[in-house]
Amino acid sequence: MTPGGGHSAAVLAQAAARRDIGVFEWLFDPASWTGPAGILRSLGDTATLCAAVIAAAVAIAVPLGAVLAHLRRGEVLATWAVTVGRAVPTFAVAGLLVPIALRRGWGAEPVPIFTALLLLALPPIFLNTYTAVRAADPAAVDAARAIGMRERAVLLRVELPLAATTVLDGVRVAAVQVVATEPIRAFLGGDGLGRYVRDGLGQNNDGLVVAGALLIATFAAATGLAFTAVGRALPEGVRRSGARRPRTERKERT
Amino acid sequence: MSRPKWWRIALALLAVTAIAGACGGDDDASDGAGTDGGGESAGPTIRIRGQEFSENMTLAEVYGQYLAARGFDVEILTPAGFRTEALDALENGQVDLVIDYIGGQQTALDPDSETSSDPDEVVSVIEPLLEEKGLTLLEPSEANSGDALVVRGDSEAEKISDLAGLDYTFGGASECYERPQCYLGFTDPEVYGITFADTRTIEFGPQLGDNLAAEQVDVVMWGTTAPQIEEHGFKILEDDKGLFPAQNVAPIIRTEVLEAHEGLAEALDELSAEISTDDLVEWNRATDIDKREPDDVAKEWLESRGLL
Repeated sequence: MTPGGGHSAAVLAQAAARRDIGVFEWLFDPASWTGPAGILRSLGDTATLCAAVIAAAVAIAVPLGAVLAHLRRGEVLATWAVTVGRAVPTFAVAGLLVPIALRRGWGAEPVPIFTALLLLALPPIFLNTYTAVRAADPAAVDAARAIGMRERAVLLRVELPLAATTVLDGVRVAAVQVVATEPIRAFLGGDGLGRYVRDGLGQNNDGLVVAGALLIATFAAATGLAFTAVGRALPEGVRRSGARRPRTERKERT
Repeated sequence: MSRPKWWRIALALLAVTAIAGACGGDDDASDGAGTDGGGESAGPTIRIRGQEFSENMTLAEVYGQYLAARGFDVEILTPAGFRTEALDALENGQVDLVIDYIGGQQTALDPDSETSSDPDEVVSVIEPLLEEKGLTLLEPSEANSGDALVVRGDSEAEKISDLAGLDYTFGGASECYERPQCYLGFTDPEVYGITFADTRTIEFGPQLGDNLAAEQVDVVMWGTTAPQIEEHGFKILEDDKGLFPAQNVAPIIRTEVLEAHEGLAEALDELSAEISTDDLVEWNRATDIDKREPDDVAKEWLESRGLL
């Protein structure tokens, strides 16, 4: 036997999955879901970080995009969001930030991964907000001004509601990207849903890699579907006045 | 930034292909003629190849340049792959000489055999297995590029057993958590029986040092030749229960090539005896931290020892 050959099953279970474990055998084993390395805990970690990132991205990108679009400013920023913003290498950004964060005493998490994911989430939300506010029906905007609305009210009560569907679309795209990318944090000293892929790769355990990938893909898909459902649940008026409104409807109303 | 580098790699590849082609021709000729440029050597060209990490690339350069200086007909190939590829290339005759680590060889050749921290015991396992493949293991160097449990300089622990009462947070790569010679051995009551306060999974490499320095973890599973250990003022704990397998550096050569060159075994043994673990650390610092080229580092070391 090897020096450590006598290790108990409990020690092994805490540390790693059996190397020849089947994908579904692992997924359907209740033990895989509980405990500090369990799927529920990992899902919670991933969901928390992603929610925080999306919340921050919405808080920054929506007001910025809306105000700039309303003022007809910031074309350059919008162009930048399309081109440069989408080319930011998330893993490299997070990886470069880790040693810096550690040296400053911020810890390996969450600053580096949060920043990297935020940079990933900002462009689609900013771009959709900017484009949709800018494209809000000029007739409606003019009418709002004609009845004496202040600029602030024009933006908040006319342009933004008209843009809501497209803005939400941007948030959905960003959220799916963030959820699908968040697992890189497992390679940067953190955990979350990516841990199973990381451990599977390190321990030569294909079952774990595939199961981990399935979990990540499922969660990303579920996120997308959840935002679609939210879009459907928007108040009727907002939804119908959105960018997707068929042209015929306007004729009926006027 | 990246363009010149790619050009360099492309050029290097081209050059190597050209040399390889030329030497292939040479080889046939010298077999018949029995002479080439060298002094003591009359056999076929010795093709040496490093594995794709800096320490092993430097080792291949050290052995290659040394043999060339001793008058052997040597060709240093472009580094490729890791242990599996090295063994494959030796077996199918693409490469004649590789420099590897004995404990790793044992895990590759006989995964179920008992590992040992005693190099002689590891050699006794792998020597016959290599022989079956037509390969000869030469005398291992005392240089050991193995596992190391590393703590910050101000830690009160000196040996691994001392960790038992310290309630430390452990950091290691994911593979460590399923290996008996790693996490399982540390926590196994029959071996070290240490209880860690928490564990963190960290990619193997400089990240381990960054996390240890930032006190995210208190002890990390690293390697004896990581140059960052000294850089950060960390210390390596003594493996007082002999859990880690010996990973001494040793040349592995195709037996027919070894026998074709008089004095080759002696030359290799002499060089292996010169290399120490500290030398490996020094080379890794030069290549990984100072970003120097392995062939340059090898040349400088050989010159400093009067071996060129």
